[in-house]
Amino acid sequence: MTAMSGSDPRRLVLGNHLAELNRLAVWIEGWAQESVSPDVSLALQLCLEEAVANIIMYGAIDGGLEIAVELERRGQTLIARIEDNGRPFDPTQKPPPRLATTLKDAKIGNLGIYLARSFASHMDYERRQGRNRLTLRFDEPQAASPQP
Amino acid sequence: MEIAAEDLTDGIAKVVLRGRFDTTGAVQVELPFNRIVTEQRKVLVDLSAVSFLTSYAIRVLLIGAKIVNSKNGKLVILCPDGKVAKVLKTAGVDALIPVYVAESAAIEALRL
Repeated sequence: MTAMSGSDPRRLVLGNHLAELNRLAVWIEGWAQESVSPDVSLALQLCLEEAVANIIMYGAIDGGLEIAVELERRGQTLIARIEDNGRPFDPTQKPPPRLATTLKDAKIGNLGIYLARSFASHMDYERRQGRNRLTLRFDEPQAASPQP
Repeated sequence: MEIAAEDLTDGIAKVVLRGRFDTTGAVQVELPFNRIVTEQRKVLVDLSAVSFLTSYAIRVLLIGAKIVNSKNGKLVILCPDGKVAKVLKTAGVDALIPVYVAESAAIEALRL
């Protein structure tokens, strides 16, 4: 099921299909063209794709899954919020993978959350009223500041 | 996402990927890519026309490189684009699969 996002251009509601990632990409592209630096554009596209793909692939409990993505600009910072009603998952508590030094030792997978945490300026998670709520902050390079 | 293959000299297979190598793109090319790496021992993966890359694409590349290596072959990546190269480097892929910015250097590495 694909819910409508309504008329609010800052909010996109996605269903439980990998094809929904194409809609997400087009939506992000629109934001990325609005005075966003190449660094933030890359980080925004990568982090949202990784986070939403992870929810679609692993989040569903009984097949029903709704994902809402919101973007908000605050000065030189973009704030992204991803909410879903899937199984509880806190990516901020997932330990970073041990990066292999040889191909033989390399494990397949577990890189998506690591990449999202690496490219976002800050990531915050809370579980509220049965929903996962992930907040990602993207600072323009000149606006970067120490983590609170 | 598009995939095309061509035979170069010295038994080198060049795989050209084009478009967004994201989750849905990677799912599209996964099977034909696996077929090529299963059949070949010297593989040059050209990411020059890839505009964006995610962890699922890295998964496809790593599985491909492992398959080629298991036959004592070699897979290298041609990647001159800064954005794609930045993601590969952050994921540590450049430590596992040789990444080149010039095609001549990538071909030379496969001839050795």
